[in-house]
Amino acid sequence: MGPTVEHLLQTLSTGILVGCLYGLLCVGLAFIFGIMRVINFAQGDFMMLGMYIAVGVTLSFLGFLGASAPFVAALIAGIVMFLLGYLLHLLLISRTTGMRMSTELDSHQSQLILTLGVALFLQNGMLFLVGSAPLAQISSLSYSAWQIPLLYDDVSAVFINKARFLDALAAVLISVCLFALMRYTRMGKSLRAAAEDPEAALYMGIDVDKAHRIAFGLGAAIAGIAGGLIVLYYPAQPYVGLDFIIIMYAGVVLGGMGSVEGAFWGGMTIGLVQQLATLVIPLQLQNAAIFVVFVLILLVRPNGLFGRSVERA
Amino acid sequence: MNRKTGLLAAVFGTAMLISMAGASAQDAKEIEIAAVMPLSGPWARLGEESKIGAELAVKQINENGGIKALGGAKLKLVVVDGGDSPDKFKNATQRLVSEHPDLAGGMGAYVSSFTLAVTEVTERAGIPWLTLSYSPKITDRGFKHVFATSPTAVKQADDGMPAIIDMAKQATGKAPTTVGIVMDNTPSPVGFTKNMHGDGLKKYGLDLVVDEQFTPPLSDCGPLMQKVRAARPDFLLLLLTATPDIKLCLEKLTEIGLPRTRLPIVNNGGVLGSPDLLKVMGKDLLEGSIFITANWGAKGQEDFIKKFEDETGEKWVTQDSISNYGHVMLLAAAMEMAKSADPEKVNEALHSMDISDGAATFFPGGHVKFAENGLREEAPLVIVQWQNGVPVTVWPKESAQAEPVWPQ
Repeated sequence: MGPTVEHLLQTLSTGILVGCLYGLLCVGLAFIFGIMRVINFAQGDFMMLGMYIAVGVTLSFLGFLGASAPFVAALIAGIVMFLLGYLLHLLLISRTTGMRMSTELDSHQSQLILTLGVALFLQNGMLFLVGSAPLAQISSLSYSAWQIPLLYDDVSAVFINKARFLDALAAVLISVCLFALMRYTRMGKSLRAAAEDPEAALYMGIDVDKAHRIAFGLGAAIAGIAGGLIVLYYPAQPYVGLDFIIIMYAGVVLGGMGSVEGAFWGGMTIGLVQQLATLVIPLQLQNAAIFVVFVLILLVRPNGLFGRSVERA
Repeated sequence: MNRKTGLLAAVFGTAMLISMAGASAQDAKEIEIAAVMPLSGPWARLGEESKIGAELAVKQINENGGIKALGGAKLKLVVVDGGDSPDKFKNATQRLVSEHPDLAGGMGAYVSSFTLAVTEVTERAGIPWLTLSYSPKITDRGFKHVFATSPTAVKQADDGMPAIIDMAKQATGKAPTTVGIVMDNTPSPVGFTKNMHGDGLKKYGLDLVVDEQFTPPLSDCGPLMQKVRAARPDFLLLLLTATPDIKLCLEKLTEIGLPRTRLPIVNNGGVLGSPDLLKVMGKDLLEGSIFITANWGAKGQEDFIKKFEDETGEKWVTQDSISNYGHVMLLAAAMEMAKSADPEKVNEALHSMDISDGAATFFPGGHVKFAENGLREEAPLVIVQWQNGVPVTVWPKESAQAEPVWPQ
């Protein structure tokens, strides 16, 4: 009984902490894929760039901040990635979206090839620039924990890793800010309008192109911030994005296309399933469990967890 | 018809003679040898270390007057990136063999599955190929041109476990009685633990109290390490091949109160000794970690190690750099013996080689003789431990740079 309760609580807490970061990653992709319907294969590589920027910034001039340096660095990575995403959309992605393409299928095909190219460029560019050696933020936060004793005996305890807890907290805060931005601000409304019906939005005086650029920039920025947070406990290398991209897409689809909140909960579900699955099935099937649950949820709710709100819109 | 065939044969014969003359004219000045390594993708860093070792050996041989038996002919290393899958490696090697028809020999390709693919091509082309890969399959195929300088993964386990137990016994006065296995399911750990699951470790007097496998990379190793904490083995076989997993697991063990000073960990391969680990975690986390490997800088190689570090800027000699340095030296020695750079003659020389000096000093045991199947006979293993921020050889005694440390 003892170890089971301990394992369950430990796994649950890990699932929630991992889920919060997956949630943030999915929110980033939701802006690009869920709202704007742009297929972006480079989203994982935006995250990878965020990781490198955060480590680079910390090592070069944030040393004086001590333990809080990685979090400030993650925000800086977000700002840099926003500018990069904005420019990338302006120069490249905009040519494959909106009214320039005759059908959605057409634009999806061009986006697929274009962003796959961007992804390969970023991966190999980073391999060329920084080499293949992994790199991470070195901080004592990643191997220290708050120990919560379980009262039924003297040895059992749940460990809450400090780096992961602070990362999860930051991820939740940023996600809440983004939900508020989308729901209550004028910019959020224009983003939603531009995404749902570009033509009608144009008639209402909304600069649709600009709205798309901002959404793409925001998506890239969130991936950058998430990368900056993740690199606190997971090393960066040029191909690291591949480990996360599938999780991002699964999360967005699971949450329901078009819903930013849904994407967060989609990511959270994936984090929880990935960790809790280890309680009942062998560890090497951990990631297979994600897709079994993914298929099951989509069987019951084809539009995803929060899919109905999209239909209503 | 007969006349026609005769004419054709004459034309072909002349063409071949001309091309052979061309080849031997080239031999006098430059002899090409190849290194096929993963220089992009997840194993790129290990390929890079291999390349650094091979390049240094070529440079030193050329500076010392080249291959003396061939009139001071210089060596030229053709480095090929094989990418990140056996398929890509096979294609890269096919291209190599057709673009460089005069290769005298070669080496590669770090990961066993890549080496298997590469040697399928080089065997047919008749090029002698040296490798440090561990899989027993490499020398089990009846090939005549493949030479493995490392002990196989199974032999490493058979020889390594008694050595580890011995180390523990000498340090603490009593033999460990329980052990845990946490491993990823890549070929190297799978080969190493082949005879260990279930009751396989009983013959060493060890009870297996945790036995966990996963597909890398891990997203978190909390639940996994919690199982280790609950079972609390005397030591842990932590058989990981990916750097992110090493970081996650070592950090988690420290976090839950099982640092290396309380729970010794043992890995297999060279990855736990990579200088790059210091870029992803502090050296305190690595301190005390032990790994069993095929080759490492050892006592008696001080001059070589210093020269290597000065010339390459690398922090220390690793399995990949020293083995590939040694591979180039072995090829050069074979050419000296054969007095030829013809691949078949170099191959024969490697098969008949039985040396305990020169090139052989870069391999543990200091003796190189290949069995019929190409596996180096009596290849012993090396045990390395992180001490004061540097991985140093601690076993066997005659090669040890420091005494092993085992928590009391």
